[in-house]
Amino acid sequence: MPVLRPVLILLAVLAAPAAAQTPEIACGAPAELLESEAPLPATEKAMQKGRLRILVAGSASVLGLGTSGPGKAWPAQLEALLEQRHPGLGVEVAVRGGRGLTATDTEALLLAEQQRNPAQLVLWQSGTVEAVRGLDLDQLTETLNRGVEQLRRASTDVMLLDPQFSRFLRANANVEPYRDAIWLVAAAHGISVLRRYELMRFWAETDRVDLERASREMRSVVADRLNACIAEALAALIRHGVAEAGAGR
Amino acid sequence: MRSLIRGGGSGGRDLRVDFFRGLALWFIFIDHVPGNVLGHLTLRNFALCDATEAFVLLAGYAAGLAYGGLLSRHGWGLAAAQLLRRAGTLYVAHIFLFVVFTAQVGLSAAALDAAAYLDELHLDAFGSEPYRALLEALLLRFQPAFLDILPLYIALLLLLVPALPLLRWPMLLAALSGLLYLAVRLTGTNLPTWTGGGWFFNPLAWQALFFIGCMLGFVPGGGRPAVPRHPALMALSVMVLLLGALALVAAFHRPELLDRVPERVAAVLVGVDKSGLHPFRLMSILALAYLLGHLVPIGAGWLQGVAAAPFVLMGQHGLPVFCSGIFLSFLGRLALELSDAWAMQVAVNALGLLALVGVGLVAAWYRLRSRGTPAPGGRGPGLPRTAASPTVSG
Repeated sequence: MPVLRPVLILLAVLAAPAAAQTPEIACGAPAELLESEAPLPATEKAMQKGRLRILVAGSASVLGLGTSGPGKAWPAQLEALLEQRHPGLGVEVAVRGGRGLTATDTEALLLAEQQRNPAQLVLWQSGTVEAVRGLDLDQLTETLNRGVEQLRRASTDVMLLDPQFSRFLRANANVEPYRDAIWLVAAAHGISVLRRYELMRFWAETDRVDLERASREMRSVVADRLNACIAEALAALIRHGVAEAGAGR
Repeated sequence: MRSLIRGGGSGGRDLRVDFFRGLALWFIFIDHVPGNVLGHLTLRNFALCDATEAFVLLAGYAAGLAYGGLLSRHGWGLAAAQLLRRAGTLYVAHIFLFVVFTAQVGLSAAALDAAAYLDELHLDAFGSEPYRALLEALLLRFQPAFLDILPLYIALLLLLVPALPLLRWPMLLAALSGLLYLAVRLTGTNLPTWTGGGWFFNPLAWQALFFIGCMLGFVPGGGRPAVPRHPALMALSVMVLLLGALALVAAFHRPELLDRVPERVAAVLVGVDKSGLHPFRLMSILALAYLLGHLVPIGAGWLQGVAAAPFVLMGQHGLPVFCSGIFLSFLGRLALELSDAWAMQVAVNALGLLALVGVGLVAAWYRLRSRGTPAPGGRGPGLPRTAASPTVSG
């Protein structure tokens, strides 16, 4: 829907040779997709204390399937990345999700998990199953609103993730309204969204990481790289959010 | 091309309706091809309504004009029979498009990396329950993405069958339609689907817009519908549209602005749903129609110019152009799935528009030929005003 996105992406593509000297973060993703003004106070506090627990919830794509091994899924890569960047910080990334789960399903999963072992940061992916099955948009919006509110009341940081991009999904499902709904919920609550769909589309269009076009024998290699890129993008968003919370104190 | 356009000039049909209908049909084609760069320029980017609302309002207008006219001249029986025939045509078109869609999704899904795109594979409903999927599609309880406007149109035409006589008592029709809309908004009632949830476009809510169109199009004594121009209403319409545009810009380009409004206000914006035709969307399309109706003079020269001609022609043959548009958008999606580079974008849009205009041309030509009247420049005096022919727009 936004008019600016393609322009920014185009600019990013045009500017790519100039930017080539500086090391690329998140596989060369445009900076605007990695920035966020939404503070992550609970995460910041936890990092100060030296122990950070992150809970990832969503449908099949949070499991990082198709990679060469469990350590290559993006939640595991995110954990490794954060530990490497913050020596001495104990990071634990828990994953709850599965094939065909709607936001309503994952809301129940993540709230139960929060009861048992609360995380300071929840990464909540949704929208794919809803879009694919053409489920009620209202219900997605209501569920996300309710879940985000409840988490924030318990002083938990939340970040939303939208569906992963594929030309197949774009051609055959009406993803846009579901992505808009996720975006609007995040905007209304002042939290950030990992715009995975935009990121993956950018990587695919600029031939950086294109899982759909990878040959069969290269698929797991490309999937590993894709998961690494997503982990880096998340780490960038988290870094911004933590800095924002630190500045606001 | 101009000789194939009906009406224009004084006393003929309202070319503005045809033009904007043609434009809406073109926008629907564009919006149905995700990844199309022109998709950033269509109505939905600037208003809290889009081509679907415009299409439904103008479809209502055309139906009021055509079937209302039949009702006046030949009574309810014939008008109802024509309506049912039209709905039947649309149903067959929908099932055809469904078969095309299913064949393609199945093929694409087979080529997809099954591990990394597990959830996406659910798109192929035929993979798991083929017979059930077929049955549910026939019952309109299974509507794949982008195949949701035709079922809405079918349901609206069926709703019009019993409502047709009420066109003579517009106040009663408006009250009943408004009450149903209110009840649906309050209770969330929707027609069921197989996959859970309701229809993407809830006909019980969208009927409000459709019937408003019908009432505008049905003018028993001939002449034009009169919606008086009032400065306060004009100003209100401008405000509604400006507010909508502002909200869209704020939400998608400056989300940090939303941070500054209370969460309750932001939550209202989040809740502007398309399925149930949220009142904001209804108000936006009515405001837009009201403004255009009063700002574009009925005899505007450009409407009869070369640039407007393709859209007028498309609008005059709404049904075939709409159905072809849905089919063409399907081909467009396939093309962009292969490549969405500039060359392909240009090809999809150029060929798509050409084909849509082509369908309009053929429909107009066929209509003239099948009546045996060359009728240059407009509706001959002996031609019936409306809809008894299968090629008429409606």
